[in-house]
Amino acid sequence: MQRVSHDDLMRFLDGEMPPDEHAVLEAQIEASSELKRELAIFRAMRTDFQELSFQPGSHRRSVWDQVNATVTRPMGWILVITGTIAWMAYGAYVFMTSPGDPWEKLATAAIVIGILTLLASVIWERYREWGSDPYKDVHR
Amino acid sequence: MQPDLERELIRKCKTGDARFYEPLVRAYEPAGLRLAMAMMGNVEDARDALQDAFVKTYESLHRFDLRRPFGPWFFQILRNQCRDHLRSRKARFQRETIDERLELRPADSEAGPERSHQRAAAKDSLWQGLAEIGEEHREIIVLKELQGFRYAEIAQILEIPEGTVASRLYHARHALKEALLALGVSYP
Repeated sequence: MQRVSHDDLMRFLDGEMPPDEHAVLEAQIEASSELKRELAIFRAMRTDFQELSFQPGSHRRSVWDQVNATVTRPMGWILVITGTIAWMAYGAYVFMTSPGDPWEKLATAAIVIGILTLLASVIWERYREWGSDPYKDVHR
Repeated sequence: MQPDLERELIRKCKTGDARFYEPLVRAYEPAGLRLAMAMMGNVEDARDALQDAFVKTYESLHRFDLRRPFGPWFFQILRNQCRDHLRSRKARFQRETIDERLELRPADSEAGPERSHQRAAAKDSLWQGLAEIGEEHREIIVLKELQGFRYAEIAQILEIPEGTVASRLYHARHALKEALLALGVSYP
């Protein structure tokens, strides 16, 4: 009699075998107490698995809200950043081309550039700290 | 969900309209949570992995071939997400008291309290057994026994040749049987 491989035993158990092969293997299993026992163990384990019916508790909310917030957020950021850049560029153009004292314009531009530089450095520092923060995955 | 409806929803999502993604998320959430729960071992990590998997899936929809079924593709992403979470967050399979987090509903609850208690104990051991075996064994058992996927689908999700599914399943089931024996659970 041909030896039954582990793979065939699994395909038999899981119904992944063509009917003709299934019938041949069934006869071989019937003739072997060792195979019958092994199959019985795997079937019993399967029964226990099938009775494990997970039902998330009713208090559990769907993940949809968080998923939705994450997938729609990039579009919001793109719009905000694009709009801000457009307004700033237009504002700078209007300011620079308007009649007035050049020293006044230069002083104002220095203040604005200074504020933007400071803001950028703070954001960069925060970003670097966040990258190495060992507690960033800890939720409240 | 009907395959035609599913395809139509995905087609709409591909145009960038996230509203059409909601029915897909709600349809795949229970099965996804079940898979993630079995891989991660606790609800909080499972929900994190599931949420990230849905986001990743949405972001990858432009690469999705509409002629293929969505389910195995999504579960493949979810499985990879669970593995990434287990590695990056050093989260190990942390088993929590199931009935604190999930309602365990034994199918034979009408068979009397003693029988129900025995079954609940056996299932708890099964859960412990899953925690004992390795990640590779656990994922294939979960896909087969809890999700009921066919070999072709398992091969797609695990990105392995279909011919090796049976072999991996045998080793995984054998490992689980040994783990259960060590826990004092004897099968016929």
